[in-house]
Formats: sequence, structure tokens, C-alpha cells
Amino acid sequence: MLTVVLQQGINGIVVGSLYVLVALGLTLIYGVLVQINFAHADIVTLGAFAAYFFMHLVGGYYLASIAVALLAGAALGYLVNAAIFAPLRERGNELLPLIATIGVSVLLENAMLAWFGPIPYAFETPYSNEVVRLGSAFITVQNLLIVSVSFLTIALLYAFMRFTFLGKALRAVSQDRETASLMGINPNAVIMLTFVIASALAGMGGAMLGPVLVLTPFAGTSVIVKAFAIVIIGGFGNVEGTILAGLLVGLIESYTTQFLAPGLIDIVVFALLLLTLAVRPTGLVAEKREENV
Amino acid sequence: MSRLDTCRIFFRKTGAHFSGKCSPRPLAYLAAVALIAVLPLVFADSYWRTNLIVCAINVLLAIGLDFILGHAGQLNLGQSAFYGIGAYVSTLLIMKLGVPYWLAFTAGVALAGLSGMLLALFAVRLRGHYLAIASLGFAVITYQILLNWISLTQGPLGIYAIQPPPPLALPGGLSVDFADLKNLFYLVAGFALLTYLLLDQLVRSPIGETLAAIREDEVSAASLGIDCRAWKVFAFGVASAVAGAAGCFYASFVGTLVPDAFFITESFTILAMVIVGGMGSLIGPVCGAILLSVLPEVLRGIGDLRLIVYGLALTLVVLFMPGGLVQAARLLAQRLRRLATFGAARVG
Repeated sequence: MLTVVLQQGINGIVVGSLYVLVALGLTLIYGVLVQINFAHADIVTLGAFAAYFFMHLVGGYYLASIAVALLAGAALGYLVNAAIFAPLRERGNELLPLIATIGVSVLLENAMLAWFGPIPYAFETPYSNEVVRLGSAFITVQNLLIVSVSFLTIALLYAFMRFTFLGKALRAVSQDRETASLMGINPNAVIMLTFVIASALAGMGGAMLGPVLVLTPFAGTSVIVKAFAIVIIGGFGNVEGTILAGLLVGLIESYTTQFLAPGLIDIVVFALLLLTLAVRPTGLVAEKREENV
Repeated sequence: MSRLDTCRIFFRKTGAHFSGKCSPRPLAYLAAVALIAVLPLVFADSYWRTNLIVCAINVLLAIGLDFILGHAGQLNLGQSAFYGIGAYVSTLLIMKLGVPYWLAFTAGVALAGLSGMLLALFAVRLRGHYLAIASLGFAVITYQILLNWISLTQGPLGIYAIQPPPPLALPGGLSVDFADLKNLFYLVAGFALLTYLLLDQLVRSPIGETLAAIREDEVSAASLGIDCRAWKVFAFGVASAVAGAAGCFYASFVGTLVPDAFFITESFTILAMVIVGGMGSLIGPVCGAILLSVLPEVLRGIGDLRLIVYGLALTLVVLFMPGGLVQAARLLAQRLRRLATFGAARVG
């Protein structure tokens, strides 16, 4: 019994750390822009496919394919910001950009469906079959790699936000765009940087989710609805809250699969989301952005 | 004033602009009745009659979403769920409990409306984006319940052999058989027209003004003593009840129900219809629904690429013509008028 709990705990943290990568991007974008990028889902999917094709067609290393996915994600994020969010920023309507990215998401998802087909791709990495023993539980080297890369990335991002000039500029813009621009920060450049970072995280997350999930053109969408739940549970725009909520959702997911039924995952997660909205709409970790609720 | 400014003002003012401008136009409604009467006679084969019914159901879905999105300013991504609730509730009542059709229909509509209000109660404290995500979450939960509650919904296997609405007995021994696609179209389109009439009246009434005030600026609306929460719950109830009605018709028209018909993609499809038509104009979404239902059928070659077209249309319209077809028609009319006056001046 204890072994099962431990084993599912490990699995939950593996998946949860990937959810954190994806959800952090959404949170960062919401922080600077107070906007939701629905096409984030397809950046995840495209990252996964980029990594898959780099590994299986070009014959590259898995670690290198993560880097390829990161670059692909960053490029797509740049495009989404330049094509959708930047032109719509002056319109001042808060729902239009969200609606436009829903359009982009439907477009990309179905374009990938037409291109790659609905049959799942078997994303096997050299590390999928090697196992490490942790007490009575097991973890594949692949999952160990996922957890270490995710945590390293999250730590780097945290340090970047905390200690570098650009990170401070980013936080300044998310606190108050006008005042930040008075301090000589170019908000448009910061917003662009945020999109590139957020989408690079999503692409990377995709490359690591590929071997864990069933890789189809819809893979990103199933992840993104959970990422939405995570950012709301953690508090929109709140980095610490997102990390906590992401790991929590990962754990909920694996324990639901073990003790209830796999079909109930989304129901449990979104029930938690609605509960959060009803009881504590600012998210688990206290939030300063009062006007959003 | 730049074109962008014109668009923006148009976009923000559309609803307010229409409301109270003129009383209902009986002539236009008469024309709509005539059109509905003639359409299935012109398109006599069952293929096109099927498409006509699909159009009418989509029109119903689009005006429901336009009421909440265009007029009350709340992005409700849960319409697929209310659509599904209407379909499953009415069908299960009929098939498992033997409830008469129209009673089950009423129950389906009522339950869809109530669940919309329940969701709104959870989410009314929240603005724009939170509400969008909460309603999307509701759609995901509903889909998963339909998929996993196999003892009730038969999950992915689906429910088969759903009967069309029972024949309607008219005085004088006549009866209208809804197994006939022509009559079913009259029923659904008539219902859609009636719903349009009601929503149109609602939007033009002081209630419509109240909702527009909430849409434009919730804080100011609240400072005028408007109970924003209650009105949002009301708007959610109306929009989801309309989607529920569409679901009831869908079930008895298609004859089979599978959860996949009510996946979140359906919400996005309805959204595309509203945006392409021009949100906040009510007539625009009708045109949008018809266009996006007929277009894939006309361009048979694109078959599977239907959703690509929807996604592309949605994005391009938001970027370049945020008022949709209504705005395009208006710009065209303006240009023609200018051309006409120019021509007249030259002739004179």
C-alpha cells in the first residue's frame, strides 16, 4: 500500500512538474498582459512534434530535441504575439485577443490533424526503459530526466525573475505598465520577451510530455485545460501559486487514477477549480491583484 | 478618425446602437416567415433538407451565445455543455422514464438553464477571463460525465434510435408528422424565429440596456444601483436555456447521441459563428451560423478541413473586421451610397 502511494506520488510529481512548465507560461503572460493565450496548447503540441521528428527523422539526441522544441516554441510564441496580441492591444477590448487565440488554436490543432493524422505517435526515448530504484518504488530514467530538467528550468526562471535586470523589468511591467515605462522600460519589448520565454517553456514542456502522454494533435489541448485550472487554483499571475497548484494537480491526477478511475481526473480537477472560484477566487497563495476578481 | 477607431466605436456600441433605435419590424419578420416556408420547398431533396435543419439548430445556438456574449459581454465557453445537457436530459427522460416529448423538452430546457445559472452563481464574482475559464471547465466536466457515467448515458457507445417529435394533431383530424424532414425544419426554424423575436425584444427592452451597461463598464453599472450579479445569472440562464432547446432538437433530429458531439470544440464552433456574423447584433450571428453551416457543404472538397476554415475565419474576423458580416455589410452599403451620390452629382 505504502509502495503504491509512494509510486503514484512520484508519477504525480513527474506529470505535475510538466504542468508547472506549461502553466507558468500562461501565468507569466497573464502577469504582463492580463490576457490568456489559448494557442499555448498548440505550442505544447508543436513542441512535442518538433522533438519527435527531430529524434526519429533526423536521428538526434533526446536532450537536443528538447532544445529544438524550446526554439520551436519560442518562435511560435513570437509569431502569436506579433500577429495577434500586438495588433489587438490598442483596441482595448479584453475579450477580443482571447477569442482570436481560440481561432488560432482551432486552426493549428486541425492543421496538425490534417498533417500528422489522428493516430498516436509512439514517442520512445533511449531512457524510457531504464529504471532506477527508489526504496520500494521505481522511476524511469526518462522521468528522472523530466523532473530534473523541469525543476532546473523553474529554478533558473525564478532566479531570472528575481535577480536579473530583465526579470525585474518583467515584474515591473506586470505590476504597473505605465509606471514601468516611465522608468525607461519598453513595455512592448518586455511583453515580447515574456511571450518568447513563456512559449519556450511550453515547447520544452511539450517535448517532455510527448513520451508521457499519448502524442496526437490534441495532446496540448488536454494539457492546457488542466493548465488553466492550475493557474486559477494557484492564482492568475502568481508564480509561486502556480508551481504549488501544478504539483498538486499532478498528484491529484495520479492518485485519482490509482484509487478512483482514470475517467474522473478532469472532473476532480475542475471540481477543485470551481471550488477555488467559490471559496477563494484569488487562488491558493494570496494575491495582490484585487481588481481582477 | 482612423478606420480602426471607427471599428472600435462600432464594435463597442453595436448593441447600444441597435437597442431602442426602432420598434420591431413586422415586415422583416414576415419576410423571415415566408423564407422559412419556401426554403424546404426549394430544396426538396433530403440531403439539403437535413442541412437546413442543421442550419436552424446552429442559428438557435448562435443567438443564444450572442445574447450572453454580445449583449451582456460575458464570454461563455460552456455552451457545448448546455447543448449536451438539453439533448441528454430530454432523451433520457423520454427513453428511460417514458415522459411525453414536450414535457421532456421543457425539462431539458429548464435543466440547461438552471445549470447555466448555477455555473454563473459560482463565477459571477469574476470578470471576463475567469468566467471564460470557469465556463470552459464546466464544459470539460460535463463532457467527462457524459463519457464516464456509462450506466446512464452509455458513454462513448452512445444512445441510438431516438424518435423524432411525436406528430402534432391539428383540429379537423389533420396531423403534422415530424418524421418528415420538411415539417421538422418548420418546427425547428419556427422555434428559432420565435426565440429570435423574444431575444430581440429582450435586448431592446430596459433589461437589454441594463445588460449593455454591465458589458460596457461593470463598476459604473454597479454604481448606478444595478445588481450585476443577478443580471449576469439571468443572462447565463437565458443563454444556456436556448442552447438546451437546440440540444433537444438535435437529439430528436439526428436520432443518436454520443458525448463527442458536445466536446468543447462545439463551443468554439458556436463562437466562430457569432464572431463571423458580428457579435452584439443578433441578426449577424444568424447570418454567421447559416454561412458557416452551409459553406463546408458547398465546398465539399474541404470536407475534413471544416474546422481549419472556422479557426481561420475566427482569427481573421477578430483582427480585421471585428464587427463581422454586419460591419462588412454596413461598410459596403456606405460605400455604395457614396458612389450613388457621386454618380447623381455627376449626372446632375
